[in-house]
Amino acid sequence: MQTKPLALLTRSPLAGVFVALAVIFTLSALISPYFLTPYNLSVIARGLAFVGLITIAQSMLMVLGELDLSLGVIGGLCGVISGILMVRLGVEPYSAMLLAVLLGATLGLVNGLLVTMLRLHSLVLTIGTAGIFGGANLVLTRGVAITGIPKDVQYLGRGDVLGMPVPFVIMLAALAVATFVMLKTPFGRYMYAIGNNQAGARMLGIKVDKVRLLVFVVAGAIAALAGVLMVARLGTAQPSIGETWVLAPIAASVIGGVATTGGVGSPIGAIFGAGIIAIIENIIVLFGVSPYWQGIVSGAIVVLAISFDAISRRYLRRDA
Amino acid sequence: MKKIAILLACATALALPFTATAQDAEGTTKKDAYRFVVVPKVVHPWFDKVNEGAQAAAAAIKAQTGSDVEVIYSAPQAADVVQQNQIIDSALATQPDGLALDLLDPSGNRASLEEAQNQKIPLVIFDSVPPEGMAIPYIGSDFCEQAKIAARRLVEVLGGEGEVAIMQGVPTAPNHSIRAECHRQVFAEHPGIKVVAEGIDNDSIETAQQQAAAIMQANPNLKGWVASDAAGPIGIGQAIVEAGKQGKVTLVGLDNLPEMLDMIRDGVADSSSASQPELQGYWSVMLLWAQATGAKVPGYLDTGNAFLTKENVGG
Repeated sequence: MQTKPLALLTRSPLAGVFVALAVIFTLSALISPYFLTPYNLSVIARGLAFVGLITIAQSMLMVLGELDLSLGVIGGLCGVISGILMVRLGVEPYSAMLLAVLLGATLGLVNGLLVTMLRLHSLVLTIGTAGIFGGANLVLTRGVAITGIPKDVQYLGRGDVLGMPVPFVIMLAALAVATFVMLKTPFGRYMYAIGNNQAGARMLGIKVDKVRLLVFVVAGAIAALAGVLMVARLGTAQPSIGETWVLAPIAASVIGGVATTGGVGSPIGAIFGAGIIAIIENIIVLFGVSPYWQGIVSGAIVVLAISFDAISRRYLRRDA
Repeated sequence: MKKIAILLACATALALPFTATAQDAEGTTKKDAYRFVVVPKVVHPWFDKVNEGAQAAAAAIKAQTGSDVEVIYSAPQAADVVQQNQIIDSALATQPDGLALDLLDPSGNRASLEEAQNQKIPLVIFDSVPPEGMAIPYIGSDFCEQAKIAARRLVEVLGGEGEVAIMQGVPTAPNHSIRAECHRQVFAEHPGIKVVAEGIDNDSIETAQQQAAAIMQANPNLKGWVASDAAGPIGIGQAIVEAGKQGKVTLVGLDNLPEMLDMIRDGVADSSSASQPELQGYWSVMLLWAQATGAKVPGYLDTGNAFLTKENVGG
């Protein structure tokens, strides 16, 4: 006889990753006296916010069966352009940020158009567009950060609201919207249908290319949002923003149960996966792990988390 | 009673100077254990030498004072300011007794440094300069002078004439950009020297090798190289050897990594203008410890440069 919450948990496809996250969180709290301090939790939340936004964008594309390797670079380029607009061209800071997000949507549109019109593989195409967007970043900045970001917009990156870092709250809002759209609207159902069987979705009358195009646009806009928020966080527009946002969001999505083949998973699972990675990155520093061992330690924890996820899902299903 | 009062007065008078000394003295707070965190720019052999120096200082303090000193070396896997800030913020959560940092970008690191100051955690910056307006003790050699030593040597070897190239490290890293600028200043003083190309290696030997190979292809009359980071000259040296230009292109390197020393011994590089990373690590920990005890420390500590040639690098 199972209690209601446990029955709910066992039915959920998120059960495994949630339990893995809970285990890692609990172990970290037990082992490190610093882990549960409000300051440390805010450090984890703030770090998770930026990778989390890219993870939401990437997981939406992955549900469609697509992969966009240019999302991190779009974030970096749009961040830099927001800096150029507000510092060099004197554009009102919030307008500059909005324009940069619109630019991100446009770059997503470019990716989407090339994928849908020319029938290009998104993974291969975005390797190329990442090169172009990253190159544009270097041409604009010559590798030098743009300083002098106005103090009032820095609140968006450094400030707190309801006791939580502002970027984290923005990420949660984006997650709520993405989850609602994907799980509760016809558009979301189309996304899963396309990811499961694109040809079949076409036969059902779903406007497959329009849906794909729109998701690329939204993903570009979310990536740009992460970039401008990072500019607000740093107080400078760094050309290197987004360089580390390529593999982690894909890994987080896979850990969170999003299939690379499409049609399976959700942004919530992906964020749980990103949470696992964020905690690993944090505890590696809290425990003072040697930098030469960090790759092995974080890799091993990820493998353990995925294995735990798979095993626990099997057992929970059997019990249910 | 009068005698007792006189004795008490005398005792008080005698004790006064001692009391005053104890109250005024600095460096009198002693802990049984200290934990310092060292955060370099990136995982890199140059910073391993910094860590060696830091560990040596920890051992020295323990030997002299009996206090346990732990130095935790926590390096970003990539030269990325976002990743570095994440490490700094996580390190602050452990409430260390001090934090020594090599800043990737002072303005980009400012928020994390301000947080450390808010938490009253002693800071030291090594191999870099503090963000504008922030009073943080810093340690390093005179980066400009280090670059000028190298550039002047190249001008001397070339007889004041020829095409040269400069390899920048991470353009946003202040020590790298200062060195690149000072290379330019020296070359500008010599009308016969023409800077025909500049590369960016982002502190990566592989990137430096690729950049140097391409620049030498595009500039067949190139006569000499200088670099602005430790990885740069190693990549340039590899490119010179691969292009068969050893003896035709002069390389004056930077710093004292083992590969750099080998290149000087093998004649691939003429010489190197070297900062002393071990000393930077050693004095970083010493200044953190001094601050943790409450002692005043200098605002800037110069660890000097060494000029390395075949004659003084040893076998």
